[in-house]
Amino acid sequence: MRRMIRTAALTAILLVPLVISAPANWGALTSAQPAPSYTYQGTVRAVNVRAGTLELITGVGMSLRVVRLKTAPTTRLVAAGAAPRLADLKPGDVVRAEGRRTAAGLVADRVEKLAVGAR
Amino acid sequence: MTRPWVVLALLLLTVGCQKPVKPGDPLRGLSLAERDRFDRGKVVFDSVFTPETGLGPLFNSTGCGECHEDPAGGRGDEVEVHATAFHAPVCDPLAQEGGPVIQQHTTPALKQALGIDQEPFPPSATARALRTSPVIFGRGLLDLVPDSALLAYADPDDRNHDGVKGRPNHFVDGRIGRFGRKGFVPTLREFNAGAFAAEMSVTNPAQPTEEDVGGKPLPAGVDPAPDPEINQEQLDLTDDFVRFLAPPTPLRLGKDGRHGRDLFSQIGCATCHIPTLRTGYSPVQALSNQEFAAYTDLLLHDMGADLADICLGLATPADFRTEPLLDLRGAEHFLHDGRATTLEQAIELHGGEGSGARDRFKGLAAADRAALVAFLKSL
Repeated sequence: MRRMIRTAALTAILLVPLVISAPANWGALTSAQPAPSYTYQGTVRAVNVRAGTLELITGVGMSLRVVRLKTAPTTRLVAAGAAPRLADLKPGDVVRAEGRRTAAGLVADRVEKLAVGAR
Repeated sequence: MTRPWVVLALLLLTVGCQKPVKPGDPLRGLSLAERDRFDRGKVVFDSVFTPETGLGPLFNSTGCGECHEDPAGGRGDEVEVHATAFHAPVCDPLAQEGGPVIQQHTTPALKQALGIDQEPFPPSATARALRTSPVIFGRGLLDLVPDSALLAYADPDDRNHDGVKGRPNHFVDGRIGRFGRKGFVPTLREFNAGAFAAEMSVTNPAQPTEEDVGGKPLPAGVDPAPDPEINQEQLDLTDDFVRFLAPPTPLRLGKDGRHGRDLFSQIGCATCHIPTLRTGYSPVQALSNQEFAAYTDLLLHDMGADLADICLGLATPADFRTEPLLDLRGAEHFLHDGRATTLEQAIELHGGEGSGARDRFKGLAAADRAALVAFLKSL
């Protein structure tokens, strides 16, 4: 019996640091996980500078889809080492966009204009 | 005769007596495992989808074999509709309005929900195109021709002043394309996966999102099968079946046919319809480093205003990829939309960069024209 009490006490002592360090809200821990990232490479269909949005045409074979991305103040725009503005992108440009899905939709972290597809 | 000579004679006899490859046959030299995948892939290719197994709610056909039949991989009599918008120099494939493939049929559930028999034609389209089902023999070989070989034939500025340019198309992500009448799709694998989605609305691991209806979301309850509607193995098997379909052996040429083959080169047809191409490396020995009869450069050429329809990628409405001349003897309709019913008509409808060869064909004596057509009918 004494042995059981000693084991229980020891277990409790060992668990105390874990309980103290655990977040009060496990849901908050889940939402703090980084959102899964997505990469799309496609042709710019439309740019709305005022709304800060970008539409890309992507797809597989003849099955094409439109992907809508929002930009944020933190979105990095890159083109051959330069730093263009969203207004510099135009329909027909080929870009690679990296982003993550948020409650507000797909938000771009980085948009790179690629030097391909020029006629 | 000494023993080595006997062996050599038997070998030559065997090669000489090899049965010709018929339309629908697999490539020669496949391993047992590859042949097994060809056979199992044919089962998926020939299967008929229903709404419960993934068909629709919009579709052009109920299975691959409905359009590529007689035999499997061959031509069909279906004609489908494509639409895009050309605002020079930019081509909008109208993906936001359901383009570029406009499905011509709906499942009963979609018809009941929206009262439509086909996908609405995109309101922003600037052109409509009709497309016949191509034969898909030898596509595994075309897939393996290195991009560098295509680029070596390109002459976008016509530096040799022969009136023929040739340039590669690009897919939406910038890669060089080669499949489809506009040479838009870079690889056979993507062409096949895209066809499941665009032709049958069968979602798959490569294209897991369902076709919408003219850019609008699907009504609830019209798409009962969970996505993806086929799995990776079914997709891979179908891809292997198409990849391993052999180009049929051309018929033996008679004197006229041989003369026609010479004329084909002499009048300039072979400038774009390059007779032979060579594949690069493949782990599939039957496809690796093979020289094969292709009769294409896989490049875009301006074919003139009379043939022009839609743009796609970098292809303007008048640009078409040189059609590989495979299994012509089985064809009853020619050109991308099937408007020609004879080979003579098809040649005479060539415009733009093809007009020089066309005019030289028209200038031949009747017997020479017949010889050239006899050669084409051997393919």
